[in-house]
Amino acid sequence: MSEAPSPDPHLAPLPGELPLSSPGFAAVDRTVGGVCAALNVLGTLLILGLAVLVNVDVIGRAAFGAPVSGVPEIVSLSIVAIVFLQAAQAARAGRFIRSDALLRALARRAPRAAAWLDALWHAAALALIWIVAQASWPLFLKAWDRDEFVGAVGDFTAPVWPVKAVLLVGCGALMAQFALGLVRAVAAGLRRAP
Amino acid sequence: PAFAHEQLVTIVAGHPPVFRWVKHASQTFIPAVQAALEGSEHGLKFSEQYGGALAGVGEELEATEEGLAEIGLVSSLFDPSKLAIQNVTYVTPFVSADTAKISSMMDRLQAEDPRMRASWEAVNLEYLGCAIGIDDYLLMTDFPVERLADLEGRKIGAPGPAVNWLKGTGAVGVSGNLTTYYNEIKSGVYDGVIVFASAALPGKLHEVAPYITRMGFGGQYAGGLAANKDWYDAQGIAVKAALKDACTAYSEAYHADLDAAVAKAFEVMQGAGATVTDADAEMRAAWAAGMENNALEWAARLDAQGQAGSEILSLYMDAMREAGATPVRDWDKE
Amino acid sequence: MSPFEIGLLSLLAMAGLVMAGLFVPVALMLCSYIGVWALKGSPLLAGKLLALAANDAISSYFFGVVPLFVLMGFITAEAGLGRDAFAVAHHAFRRLRGGLGLATIGANAAFAAVTGISIASAAVFARLATPEMTSRGYTARFAAGVVAGSSVLGMLIPPSLLLILYALLTEQSVGDLFLAGVLPGLLLAALFGGVVITLAAVAPNFIGEGAQVREEEGPSPSALELFSLGAPIVLLIGAVLGGIYGGLFTPIEAGAVGCLAAAAIGLAKRRLTLAGVWRVLTETGLVTASICFLLIAAQMYSRMLALSGVPAEFGGWVATAEMAPIWIVLAYCTLVITLGAILDSSSIMLILVPLMLPVATGLGLDLVWFGIVTVIAVEIGLLTPPFGISVYVVKSTLGPEGPPLGEIFAGAAPFALAMLVALGLVITFPFLATALI
Ligand code: NA
Ligand code: NA
Repeated sequence: MSEAPSPDPHLAPLPGELPLSSPGFAAVDRTVGGVCAALNVLGTLLILGLAVLVNVDVIGRAAFGAPVSGVPEIVSLSIVAIVFLQAAQAARAGRFIRSDALLRALARRAPRAAAWLDALWHAAALALIWIVAQASWPLFLKAWDRDEFVGAVGDFTAPVWPVKAVLLVGCGALMAQFALGLVRAVAAGLRRAP
Repeated sequence: PAFAHEQLVTIVAGHPPVFRWVKHASQTFIPAVQAALEGSEHGLKFSEQYGGALAGVGEELEATEEGLAEIGLVSSLFDPSKLAIQNVTYVTPFVSADTAKISSMMDRLQAEDPRMRASWEAVNLEYLGCAIGIDDYLLMTDFPVERLADLEGRKIGAPGPAVNWLKGTGAVGVSGNLTTYYNEIKSGVYDGVIVFASAALPGKLHEVAPYITRMGFGGQYAGGLAANKDWYDAQGIAVKAALKDACTAYSEAYHADLDAAVAKAFEVMQGAGATVTDADAEMRAAWAAGMENNALEWAARLDAQGQAGSEILSLYMDAMREAGATPVRDWDKE
Repeated sequence: MSPFEIGLLSLLAMAGLVMAGLFVPVALMLCSYIGVWALKGSPLLAGKLLALAANDAISSYFFGVVPLFVLMGFITAEAGLGRDAFAVAHHAFRRLRGGLGLATIGANAAFAAVTGISIASAAVFARLATPEMTSRGYTARFAAGVVAGSSVLGMLIPPSLLLILYALLTEQSVGDLFLAGVLPGLLLAALFGGVVITLAAVAPNFIGEGAQVREEEGPSPSALELFSLGAPIVLLIGAVLGGIYGGLFTPIEAGAVGCLAAAAIGLAKRRLTLAGVWRVLTETGLVTASICFLLIAAQMYSRMLALSGVPAEFGGWVATAEMAPIWIVLAYCTLVITLGAILDSSSIMLILVPLMLPVATGLGLDLVWFGIVTVIAVEIGLLTPPFGISVYVVKSTLGPEGPPLGEIFAGAAPFALAMLVALGLVITFPFLATALI
């Protein structure tokens, strides 16, 4: 492959990914990006922490007869936190799975229709994450009020509320990310044909 | 039979129907409810959601509390925080190997004692009964256990609450999962497990841990059937009575089935070459005496939350002693 | 509308929305929300179902270690161990058409002995193998498809999360099921190899330049060079397998230990930097998040579908059909594969296996064999659109720069067909599953 790669049609930005030349929007985008990146770092540290924890448990058990209590419980809680800490950054990096063949075909023939369709999908994503978040809020309150925990008293216990809080924060970041996409797609839909 | 009013009732369980307690929800409880309502005006049609189809193990309580299901086979064992006082049996081992007695006692206490009823009402549930009794927990090892010292440094897998039973024995308690015990013992990650006979046989644990010691940990209470309180309160007297009476039928059928399964399990495992021994009184006493009194810690934590942990502990222990049980250690009197 | 009709409609809606470009997890959530609303008549309850699933669906020890297996593979890639191994394979298979495809399948079979979940296999080899193949002239479609296809070995060759789930659902011995998975797993790996060789012969364009036998460019590597390239990865896999079977750690813990071992080898070879480790940690997080989010949404959807009674109704037809045993088994497999288009693996098993268990017992079927049949049929669904989780994992790992989803599904299709053949063979020759027990 000596020649420069030709522009790949399936790499062209979708309407929800089109750049938007508004300073206000750029500032919001940067802020959301910063939040997503910060959550991402926390999630990454949590994965690293799990890797260390399981190894300490294995070595402690095999070499010293001293396993770490509560590893299964910690792992079960952490995976939920990891997912919601990283979800917004994953969405930002275009890792949310979608089949874009129809959108791209439409974008070639009727770009504004494609933009409005993509706007609809971003609005749907926004609405559903909102539903999950607002229905999860009472679950968080319950976990907080009742001191819900996992594990067994006397061996190991861990409170559940931090993970429920992370879930809410993660939903918030996801909503912000989908809102940015919605604005981009709507702007593309309003744009006059070149 | 046609009813003037028939409502659809979702019943949920995290375990699949091969588990005896789910099987009898389907094959004993539901038919008994329907038989009781036959000829009346109000009928119930059941949508049975087992094995995690709607809610997984430990999620039954919230699914029923929130109203996604009307009735749930709620496992207090897997929800030790919301149904903390129901776990009283797991903090008091060495009380009784008579599972049916423990089950009927727990059903009775939860029907009669206002403090236990309150714990269900706090999570918007009405306890119906149908106690899930677990048969006498055993020690199954890949080495013979003749005295407590044999356990020194050995890694023993156990369900979460039973890890506490191993503290003070010299053994290393490892929190484990029934489904992977076989492979863990086979490869040598564990040297043994704490498990009950009716689950040991299907998992073929005797193949890898052929030394079975009846240590006397005792039978346990793992949960029961509960209904969403709002839904239950809206039912007529006939439906309410049908639900609670069906639990009597459930308890009889479940425990008869369980006893038969336990007898068969021992027979088959022994037939396959496993060695079954009863720990002598001395070893049991030594084990129990060496343990930390986890029940007191458990009770103190509940007391601090205003849940009458100490009172429930005494209530349960007194009730069992009155019913003829002779605890190896009186957890409540220390 | 009856619950059954609502459920059926949701199947169509789900497929339509995915094809129209809605994010797959959002399509699942939307169908679930509207479905439960319609079934229970309450948007409040519908929201609660979504929230409970979001909180609980992946909160398990088994799922929780997935990122650690992915991380182990990514560290291996970052340290260049994968590239070295593929250089060796490239040399060893230079006279074989589609050689690197065969190497990928073999490597996946070896990794399957370490991990119990296909998601991990798909993510790891999308990063390890796909770039190596495309850089040597294989088509992106094939390079991604062979990874998605061979990832299914992860749940057939022990350890296997699906076999553990089946054991739980049927009270069968996990030990027996793991042994039963060995021969069908190897058979499937061989069939996959056959697919690659056949494609190279009859449809070379599907594979690309990799389908050609190529002369060595430059000087041939010496035996010592080949050894030093291949030894680290053999050491890594050997250490992890040795630890599992030597009783040092459980298969669930193997991913974490593998991370440690891979990092140690990478550091010893001075191939791993702190920045590199951080990069793969981040990458692991993104892949984990996008896939687990998908699995959460899939659980929401399957819970809605369970409430609608659609799978139970279909299962009931099969279970009560007056047919010869073989036809019941075939009807069951057809149903499993059909549901596999839409539902995730564990949901299908949770719903259908308990329904079929009394039937299988009544017919006197060997329940261990039936488990292997079930798992192979269920795993075909990992590769079929619109909901094919292995394909999604490959796509998510390769990112927006990777081939489009449709291309990966196309690349995986020949392997899905090979699974059908394997399924037929295991049904016809039950000893494939039972011989080792
Ligand atoms: Na495997
Ligand atoms: Na599929």
